[in-house]
Amino acid sequence: MSALIRFEKVSFSYPGDEDESLHEIDLEIEEGSFVAVLGHNGSGKSTLAKHTNAVLTPTEGRVYVGGIDTRDEDRLLDIRRQVGMVFQNPDNQIVSNVVEDDVAFAPENLGVPTAEIRERVDSALRLVGMYEYRKHAPHLLSGGQKQRVAIAGVIAMQPRIIVLDEPTAMLDPQGRREVIATVTRLCRENGMTVLLITHHMEECIGADRLVVMSNGRIVADGSPETVFSQVELMEREGLTVPETTRLLYELNREGFSLPLDRLTTESCAEAIVSALK
Amino acid sequence: MLKDITLGQYFPGDTVVHRLDPRTKLLLVIVYIVALFQAGGWVGYALVLAATVAAMALGRIRPKNIYNGLKPMLLIIALTAVLNIFYTNGTPVRPGWPITWEGIARAVQMVLRIVLLITGTFLLTYTTSPMALTDGLEKLLNPLKKLHVPVHEMTMMMSMALRFIPTLIEETDKIMSAQKARGADFETGNLVERAKALLPILVPLFVSAFRRADELAVAMESRCYHGGEGRTRMKQMSMERRDAVALTLGALLLIAVIALRHFGL
Repeated sequence: MSALIRFEKVSFSYPGDEDESLHEIDLEIEEGSFVAVLGHNGSGKSTLAKHTNAVLTPTEGRVYVGGIDTRDEDRLLDIRRQVGMVFQNPDNQIVSNVVEDDVAFAPENLGVPTAEIRERVDSALRLVGMYEYRKHAPHLLSGGQKQRVAIAGVIAMQPRIIVLDEPTAMLDPQGRREVIATVTRLCRENGMTVLLITHHMEECIGADRLVVMSNGRIVADGSPETVFSQVELMEREGLTVPETTRLLYELNREGFSLPLDRLTTESCAEAIVSALK
Repeated sequence: MLKDITLGQYFPGDTVVHRLDPRTKLLLVIVYIVALFQAGGWVGYALVLAATVAAMALGRIRPKNIYNGLKPMLLIIALTAVLNIFYTNGTPVRPGWPITWEGIARAVQMVLRIVLLITGTFLLTYTTSPMALTDGLEKLLNPLKKLHVPVHEMTMMMSMALRFIPTLIEETDKIMSAQKARGADFETGNLVERAKALLPILVPLFVSAFRRADELAVAMESRCYHGGEGRTRMKQMSMERRDAVALTLGALLLIAVIALRHFGL
């Protein structure tokens, strides 16, 4: 299976900035997978996201989206219609005063026939559970609801992948759960490829694959279980690990030899119980 | 306090007036304004007033909402009334008084004209969503595209501006609270002092508006926005029978008012 998005030795520095925001990144995103990118502010994770739909293009190296080089300006629309991008601030990405009109924005731009737009908008709003709010004014919705509308807005574009650039950074815990649950469901039930950029460790637990970034480099890449098991590495990067891993890790330092790759409370408890038997 | 601003506000609804094609409503407002300025006598004004009230009733717009919108204009309205009362020649109300009967009549008509003018335009924005309004405007101005007038770009900017009014009002409120918390004073002092006190609000507001604009532009591009070319619409505008009826009524109103003017009514 060929990768949906492929980074080949991608380096990038912002104009006037000597430091590289991305340094020789190699990354492949497979179709249908849920990939989380974890990192601190300034780790280059948002810069990475902006490379997936040619908002930024590499200073060196190449990014291919569905086989298209992102530097090919003539095919900009072909790239962007494949990658639905959701941003941090829900207010700054909603373009209309009515929810359903906003969701219709992308298909309208693509010249989709009127009847089909209607279908796409309705099904996108149902997918994120905002169909009842289709006639509402976005500024009266909660942060989590606004962000779900923004997700519907990119689903209506029928992209091959949804890239979410810190979609929960401005939300309260309730809104954060709403958004993450929606994204997870889209991937698991609808087979949507998801690239989630975040600095919240908890949001990565449900992902198929976790990429940790620091100073423009990828420092860890694997399943959340294997990545979080590298407790020393995560601590060096100033990132926290799930409490279950933390507990098992501390126990190991006291002489136990427990597996660290237990991210749910139940599996963690089972591991401890079987060790005590 | 800033939440009271009703400019450009839309009250969603499902009345006949709401369902009219935005183009019809835009044309009607133009016809209405022309009629209003053609009204020469009491009968003419009464006719326009009746039309306004009828439209309000059909659109289920409460007089309170209109009054709230009129509030910022009260000073101008009062000033117009006073000036007209005192500066119109004619028969004095009592010998020696500077107030004339003609002046009073003129003042009432002028006030009526301003109030109706504002009410008419409010009826448009109250019953038409900003998006529909700008779409209608784009369609109406479409012929100008042949003259290379950037109609789509202009209407898109308009709809974005309208979309961000509530967001920016909210932001202004936040900044004001933050400044007040640090001892800023917006309520006392003379006009110059108060204007100066607004400066610490405007600067952060502008900075954040520019940042928003930047993010919005990226978000729009990410959703494949590339200008008006090849764009389709989810909501197609269509002229129905009710639009024909409304436009006919509007034309009749204008003709009636002009005819009445000829008879000095």
